[in-house]
Amino acid sequence: MTSQVIEEGAPSRGRAFLASFIKNILPAVPLLLIIGFFFLFPITRMIYVSFLSNDNAFTLENFKTAIQEPYRTGFINSIKIGLFSAAIAAFPGALAAYFIETRGSSKLRRTIAVMSGVLANTGGVPLAFMFYAALGIQGYLTKVLKHLGWDLYSGTFSLGSFIGLLIVYLYFQLPLMVIVFSPAIVSLRREWSEAARNLGASQFNYWIRIGIPLLFPSFIASFLLLFASGFSAYATANALTVGNLPLTPLQIGGLLDGNVSAAQLNLGKALGVVMIVISACAVIPYLAIQRRSAKWQKR
Amino acid sequence: MAKALRVKFQPPLALTLLILGFFVFLPMLSAFEYSIRTPLTGGYGWTHYIWAVTEDDFFHYILRSMWLAGVTVLITLFVLVPTLTWLHLSNSKVRGLIDGISLLPLVIPVVAFAVGAQIAFPEFVQNTVLELPFLYFVLALPYAYRSLDIGLNSIPLKTITEAARSAGANWMRTITTVIVPVIRGSVMATIALTFALSLGEYTLTVLLHWDTFPTWVTYVAQDNILGAIAISMMSLIIPFLILTVITLFVPERSTQGRK
Repeated sequence: MTSQVIEEGAPSRGRAFLASFIKNILPAVPLLLIIGFFFLFPITRMIYVSFLSNDNAFTLENFKTAIQEPYRTGFINSIKIGLFSAAIAAFPGALAAYFIETRGSSKLRRTIAVMSGVLANTGGVPLAFMFYAALGIQGYLTKVLKHLGWDLYSGTFSLGSFIGLLIVYLYFQLPLMVIVFSPAIVSLRREWSEAARNLGASQFNYWIRIGIPLLFPSFIASFLLLFASGFSAYATANALTVGNLPLTPLQIGGLLDGNVSAAQLNLGKALGVVMIVISACAVIPYLAIQRRSAKWQKR
Repeated sequence: MAKALRVKFQPPLALTLLILGFFVFLPMLSAFEYSIRTPLTGGYGWTHYIWAVTEDDFFHYILRSMWLAGVTVLITLFVLVPTLTWLHLSNSKVRGLIDGISLLPLVIPVVAFAVGAQIAFPEFVQNTVLELPFLYFVLALPYAYRSLDIGLNSIPLKTITEAARSAGANWMRTITTVIVPVIRGSVMATIALTFALSLGEYTLTVLLHWDTFPTWVTYVAQDNILGAIAISMMSLIIPFLILTVITLFVPERSTQGRK
């Protein structure tokens, strides 16, 4: 800033600063104020409070409790459901995106995009009730499956169990995969496969040496985003489980509601901070890969 | 080339669509069948749907959710369109910073955000339901920002603005009557997205102890699970159908986006 002021030969530093402020920052102030107050401030405050004891002294106790039982199981379950739902949805979703993007008409592609958008985002509570009706003990789908020889409820299955929740999560994870992976497919240029073929590559060779290496980073990125979405989902799990499946978002919700009391008042904040750290480990690489691929995806 | 491909029958595509169709519609239809059962007579009927729409709370909460979503859309447009236009025109140094910050809400799980919101805001903010539109704005920011950013990138913004300005339009007029119409595709997408997200938001709303349409559904479920299922079916199927029909019948714009 100073060097710029000198270069411009501004009369006084104060006025130059003001001029530069008006020119460079002022129009962004409303947006920055809203983001600052409604987003950065609460997050920073939570991080700060998570290091405070009940008497407002600095402590690491909250974090020590956060990684002990029962919160440990909560994290393990949440990470597991994020990983499993992402792993199961990723490949079929990518394949579906590939066929739809490369073979579908433009109308079909747009329709699928809109439908996926609705399914991936409107989820939450309605989704939970929909599955309760479809795959509950009295559900039609359950009866059909039973008729076909697969009795879902012969064992310990319930929609609030890990497997039950996993099935419900797939219903929004798969469309999410189609949404986030499609742009990568669109940017695979026809010329590349034609060039490879002209140079004598077989279909197999093209995929092994060009197609898959090009799509792989986007595939991993999409997987990471799916993980983050499954890991932090709250609404569906809250509606379907009845306290039988420890998941971190539900545990935080319980502490926040005061339904569950803990000796440490700020335990919930520490759990929130650990969640942010885990989520960041997935989302930040996702954003970095997206940014990198955006370079060659630009036409 | 594309046209020729469209006519040809595509077995892999057909199979994909068939599997996806089963995956999406089997649970939906099965749930629908459940929602129109009438336990007393053993037949089918609209009992639960009629019950839901004749509840006073039904329209009360729908209206409430709608106006909250409307306010969120207004905040989004009023704040983001001018700011992004300026960022694109000025090449300001803060652009990189704001680009980065706009993606941050993706990193923060909503539950954690709710914890922060509950402890950080002063009383006067927590006491008004108007805190919700601002928080919804933050949640929708990564998508809204990107959508408008792409729209502004795809037009010769500088030329258009200079033309409007030299024809005597002030900044407000330039933005509302020139820039917004030119990027209407992005603006419409932003509105749809922000509105839908606000309308369906549950986690933050319930953890901050507010009542909106989605939280009312869980409340209903405590006494009348069949009513709650009927409401859920409506809130899943109606937007689904409306949006799909719109996409199918609104002609595609060929001007925006790709070269």
